[in-house]
Amino acid sequence: MSICDWLSDRMPSVALGETEWTPEEARHLGDCAPCNAEWRLLQTASRLGSAARLVPDPHATARAVLLRLGRPEPRFSARSWVFSALAAASIAAVMWVGGRGAAGNPGSEGTPVAAGLPMPLPELDALQPAELDSVLTTMDDSSSSPVPGDDVGLGDLDSEELQQVLDTWEG
Amino acid sequence: MSASTIPASAAPESAADAALVTDYRQGNERAAAELVRRHAPALGRFLYSSGADRDDVEDLVQETLFRAFRRLDTWHGGASFRSWLMAIGGNLLRDQFRKRAGRIVPMEDRDVPDRADPHADLAAGETEERVRKGIAGLPRLQREVFLLRAQEGNGYEQIAAALGTTPGAARVHYHNAVKRLKELVR
Repeated sequence: MSICDWLSDRMPSVALGETEWTPEEARHLGDCAPCNAEWRLLQTASRLGSAARLVPDPHATARAVLLRLGRPEPRFSARSWVFSALAAASIAAVMWVGGRGAAGNPGSEGTPVAAGLPMPLPELDALQPAELDSVLTTMDDSSSSPVPGDDVGLGDLDSEELQQVLDTWEG
Repeated sequence: MSASTIPASAAPESAADAALVTDYRQGNERAAAELVRRHAPALGRFLYSSGADRDDVEDLVQETLFRAFRRLDTWHGGASFRSWLMAIGGNLLRDQFRKRAGRIVPMEDRDVPDRADPHADLAAGETEERVRKGIAGLPRLQREVFLLRAQEGNGYEQIAAALGTTPGAARVHYHNAVKRLKELVR
């Protein structure tokens, strides 16, 4: 290992004040321009940001982190399940009706609508990502499988949710 | 001790971190607060040196720590707790850069301390700012390897464990970073 490589390996610990240069090493640093440039780089990089109070109050940061950790994870409510399942059923119905209509057109026989043109479903825009996932995963069996939380009926939906369901049914 | 191994002072630090993590897992919130107090400032410097806007550093630190505590079970002690935090912070920063990719503001136009600002106690010299911009412009692994070594004094094995690479590759990344950056201080 050359002295340049040796010094290069030692630079971080010397820059951080963990060790010191020997007189011989210090002499080499003064004479060797590449080593000198690397040493100045390490000195600069090791103190970057140290003059700034980037995290002014670590105790406040700790409190904020603990507060967030103590919060319960957002839960998917029974009402959300019902809403999602109803939306899924509505989508399935629209696709089924659309499929029947398409089957009657010349040249479209046997072509599932869902596999053809993209179908705009603005109702989906109102769903949260988790609700949308639920819709997509229940599309295949939404008409036959029991709905989690199905003891909650349409009467439990608020007016906006109910209107969205009705809008879906009415196309 | 070889020049590239973990400094002797790091061993008790790691043991203390491991004990605090164990305490926190057993429900001691003070242990978590102590971990934050020990590592938040260094994490802030790492993120700032990696190119984070000064105004974003505090939020990034908090988010990094939050994510880290939520998946403490993935820290196995191969890397130091601080290096592990920095790797998480690096991922977070990368995501932030990606989100902002469509509205990138060149480093030259942002976050340079305003000399007239009384709060600009940073008072970074021109060389310091040039180096910071140079580090921020490095490829991610070069940047993180360089900072873990230059600011934390980590050895290549520890860096490799934190960043999911090999010690040999970490050494190469470090030397490539140095090669590019030392032109900035000549």
